[in-house]
Amino acid sequence: MGNFRNRNFLHNLEKEYGSIKELSNKIVSGDIRTLSRCITLSESSREDHQFFSRKVLEKVLPMTGNSLRIGISGPPGVGKSTFIETFGTFLIEKGRRIAVLAVDPSSSKSGGSILGDKTRMERLAQSENAFIRPSPAGKTLGGVSRHTREALLLCEASGYDTIIVETVGVGQSEATVSNMIDIFLLLISPGSGDELQGIKRGIVELADLIIVNKADGSLKSEAENIAREYNSAVKLLRPTINNWNTRVVTCSALENIGIEEIWSITEEYIQNFDNEKNISSHRKEQFQKWLREEITQNLNKQIYSEKKINDLIELYEEKVLIGEVLPSAAAYEIVKKFLKK
Amino acid sequence: MVRNSSIERKIMSGISKKLFEEWREIAQKELKGKDLENHFWITPEEIRVKPLYTKDDLNGLNDQLENLPGLDPFLRGPRATMYTNKPWTIRQYAGFSTAEESNEFYKQCLENGQTGLSVAFDLATHRGYDSDHPRVSGDVGKAGVAIDTVEDMKILFNKIPLDKMSVSMTMNGAVLPVLAGYIVAAEEQGVSKEYLSGTIQNDILKEFMVRNTYIYPPKESMRIVSDIISFTSKNMPLYNSISISGYHMQEAGSTLTQELAYTLADGIEYVRAALDAGLKVDDFAPRLSFFFCTGMNFFMEVAKLRAARFIWAKLMKQFNPSDPRSLSLRTHCQTSGVSLTSQDPHNNIIRTAYEAFAAVLGGTQSLHTNAFDEALALPSELSSRIARNTQLILLEETGVKEVIDPLAGSYYVENLTKEFIDKTLLLIQEVEQMGGMTVAVSEGFTKFKIEESAAKRQARVDKNEEVIVGVNKYINENLNEEIDLLVVDNKKVISKQIQKLKKIKSERDNNQVNLAIENLKKGAESNYNLLSLSIEAIRARATIGEISKVLEDVFSRHKAISKSITGVYGSAFSEDTSFNEAQKKVTNFAKKEGRQPRILVAKLGQDGHDRGAKIIATAFADIGFDVDIGPLFATPEETSKQALENDVHVVGISSQAAGHKTLVPELIESLKENGGEKIMVVVGGIVPPGDIEDLKKAGVSAIFGPGTPITDSANQVIDMLLKKNLSS
Ligand code: B12
Ligand SMILES: Nc1nc2c(ncn2[C@@H]2O[C@H](COP(=O)(O)OP(=O)(O)OP(=O)(O)O)[C@@H](O)[C@H]2O)c(=O)[nH]1
Ligand SMILES: [Mg+2]
Repeated sequence: MGNFRNRNFLHNLEKEYGSIKELSNKIVSGDIRTLSRCITLSESSREDHQFFSRKVLEKVLPMTGNSLRIGISGPPGVGKSTFIETFGTFLIEKGRRIAVLAVDPSSSKSGGSILGDKTRMERLAQSENAFIRPSPAGKTLGGVSRHTREALLLCEASGYDTIIVETVGVGQSEATVSNMIDIFLLLISPGSGDELQGIKRGIVELADLIIVNKADGSLKSEAENIAREYNSAVKLLRPTINNWNTRVVTCSALENIGIEEIWSITEEYIQNFDNEKNISSHRKEQFQKWLREEITQNLNKQIYSEKKINDLIELYEEKVLIGEVLPSAAAYEIVKKFLKK
Repeated sequence: MVRNSSIERKIMSGISKKLFEEWREIAQKELKGKDLENHFWITPEEIRVKPLYTKDDLNGLNDQLENLPGLDPFLRGPRATMYTNKPWTIRQYAGFSTAEESNEFYKQCLENGQTGLSVAFDLATHRGYDSDHPRVSGDVGKAGVAIDTVEDMKILFNKIPLDKMSVSMTMNGAVLPVLAGYIVAAEEQGVSKEYLSGTIQNDILKEFMVRNTYIYPPKESMRIVSDIISFTSKNMPLYNSISISGYHMQEAGSTLTQELAYTLADGIEYVRAALDAGLKVDDFAPRLSFFFCTGMNFFMEVAKLRAARFIWAKLMKQFNPSDPRSLSLRTHCQTSGVSLTSQDPHNNIIRTAYEAFAAVLGGTQSLHTNAFDEALALPSELSSRIARNTQLILLEETGVKEVIDPLAGSYYVENLTKEFIDKTLLLIQEVEQMGGMTVAVSEGFTKFKIEESAAKRQARVDKNEEVIVGVNKYINENLNEEIDLLVVDNKKVISKQIQKLKKIKSERDNNQVNLAIENLKKGAESNYNLLSLSIEAIRARATIGEISKVLEDVFSRHKAISKSITGVYGSAFSEDTSFNEAQKKVTNFAKKEGRQPRILVAKLGQDGHDRGAKIIATAFADIGFDVDIGPLFATPEETSKQALENDVHVVGISSQAAGHKTLVPELIESLKENGGEKIMVVVGGIVPPGDIEDLKKAGVSAIFGPGTPITDSANQVIDMLLKKNLSS
């Protein structure tokens, strides 16, 4: 919570970081340092930081929305980072400016984590036209969702025209990410047991393009087999909202094979998207969802952070356990109490 | 062998049960209540060493005991007469600054009793860059000798007759132009290549694992290895085409069984590569040589060398050689650098002497002894002299050379040898089941295992469970000795090298150079022998950098994937106070700042020592830091960019190869220029006392030398951060 209760908190923060106006100007002018500090502020667990970063973000909001937003997910070790290295370098050669937001789920008991991903995007990391930010997922539920969305907008305001969001495909986070991007690429690879049964069906349904990576060397034919398998499987899926049939391709991120095709499918997808439904209206819907999500999370957080309510919950819990009160009735009473305070 | 876990033996064929019981009783009394059953030592190799070995411990070891030196399986030595006929070669690894200065040094060493040469190249050369390349400005001449062309090579061996002197060269990445340079230098000295004896390291697999001076990807690198084996087996009958090295593994933190297993498994992989290239096993196997580390675990090191020869003979039989020399393992040894300390450095003389003794008892063919200033800088004249004399005294004054394999038959050493063999075979099997070393290496499996051992070791030392005299016990706080260190003026070396490069480039026939380079390119794209094409290019005065570059254009430059371990260090510390103290401070910081303290652990320049950086990264993460790991071989600007984008609180540079004096100030400059003036910079590793002032002036907040417990450095870093952030 930090200095949030302090009336002067905004003033103090402006003293430390620069005024909201200055910061927003610098972001728009493409200053990397300011961009990265503002991302830190929005990732912070301190509410005054969050509040402050929202102020900056609101200022630059008119400058956002001009990028292609790509979500990339897949099981650990499938080659996401390697793919981003190759794909990103390819896009930079096409004249684009890339921002990569990599969400790292590895967090130890101590709260610390090793964010080693960037070493796998070495060439991209060195490019002037790339900004890469690995972020620890931390422990807070829903945190990733807000941080990443805000970071994405900040990057757009800073002039990056392609934003790539990398998450590890372990379930949960995909749905969240799919709700902030335009196209969702799912990476899978042969020989790692993520054949059709292994991967959650839900994730496959979210994918606009399925990429079977590591189609090189001894894995090549197996990769092609898997691609075929998936191809027949996705035929059974309903087309996604914008009337798009999920495609399946193979590639080798390591040997730079198949990247061009992935890009042309992406372009085709966006074209189709615009024909069918216009990206900006899609994004408006995403904002609506975001709003609702935030409300839920906000309420959740507030309810559980109140001592009185927690005591009350405990009290009712006992009653529920001995069968005296129904859970639904207990919840009704608790929420009522919360709203009355 | 399945060993009885209790000291009591079911079958007592040698020592009578009664006698043993008598001993047991007295021993139990002496232990005053401690249990004899639990009175043993478990080594890092997970070998359980008992307090007493008896005749019974030789039971079942007949295939090991009934052996003679010079005969298959060579357990007792590769030669029938060993040192009784020819002493081991005293071969000190050295090289610094320019070829001129190193040559002077070599000649002086040879005059004073050294019997073989061993060239240490600088990191620019290792990685295939000429001295004028912008990426190596901090590295030239610093951690070895700078060599750009065959002219440098000729200066390096000036007045050293290459037909008589056996020369070992530690080169793996830029192995083609460097070996070619050596061959052409000899040729122009009037010595044809058939007469060259010595060794080229040429062991690329361990580079990917622990030494980090690779250039090309694994597959292309393996082709280079077999091109060299095939060229030398035809043209250089006295030359060792490869030195399969475990040394660097132990120095990177492996256990002794890991060192042996992974090295022998590497060896098998090279044999397969050479066979695949169409060679016959007896044409090259006798010219394979090995290189091991000798650390402080005295008897274990002796057992290791004996086990090494035994296992190699056994493994090589699968290829059906008919020449018995194909089965025999010959090796060089070097005493351990990691065992040496910057605290009370004269202690290192004693450590090195014990280690040298173990290597000789184990039957090494040649030996390097480290200098006592190992953990401070490259060896000085004085420290080199003492290191060399350590061997001369061992050889001439102790009588150790008069008897072959003198520890044979020792209950303990024989039993240990057996245990060592069994444990090692299991590890080899594990790697073979993965598909061999190339697979294990490219999946990062072995590197991971070694890093795990290194983390465990660090925790043992930081918790004072493993004693290092002068570091975590018997610490001498008031010690303030001045030690004269070797200082290399890197700017001078660069300007001298650039001058020489300019001269050669203006005098050579550029058409001829271009043609040779073009041929090399075609050769790389097809399957011509790359060593023979490199020799042509070197003759035409192409530079090491030019040759490496054209091969890079075809093969690409390898980028390592680094995986990190977590939890190994931290889990050793459940109750340690200074660990918990650091954790608490971190939690406190996170509460105040809204996020964990974030550190970028980075390496600058061509310095490939990553043990320290990796261990710091994993330990700091266990303490609660968010840790970004920088890639190897970064420039100051690249590191600065990463620090700024990731918005870290602190950049921690781990510097081992003396590049910090140039590179760290450049990093701080770059941070400042880009709005990162508040980012703190700390440095760890080998920082000689003379550099400390300069670094502090440049803006470095703290310096952590070798032997600093990580719990201490972490506490200091978090203290500084807390102080800084509270005041701002
Ligand atoms: C191990 C070692 C190797 C291994 C490296 C394995 C690996 N993957 O790391 C091998 C055998 C491969 C090797 C090779 C070479 N080495 Co070497 N090596 C060493 C040695 C013996 C120990 C280093 C080490 O790992 N120690 C253990 C770790 C845990 O300690 P540490 O890194 O010092 O870290 C501790 C502190 O310093 C501090 N710390 C370090 N970094 C950081 C960072 C932060 C943020 C913090 C808070 C703390 C901190 O905390 C750590 C825990 O206490 C040193 C000498 C010595 N005794 O220090 C020579 C030494 C560094 N090597 C040296 C040389 C010259 C080389 C070569 C260049 C030789 C050559 N010409 O071929 C090669 C090339 C290697 C390369 N690619 O760069 C020289 C460098 C000379 C100089 N600085 O002037 C040294 C000093 C030996 C010597 N005196 O000649 N080496
Ligand atoms: N053969 C082959 N290997 C690949 C390819 N792409 C990635 N790899 C390898 O797969 C391993 C994992 O690659 P990463 O890019 O780190 O995978 P990731 O999905 O980002 O992994 P996490 O971030 O840990 O989830 C590395 O060893 C890569 O070299 C490819 O196209 N072919
Ligand atoms: Mg990744």
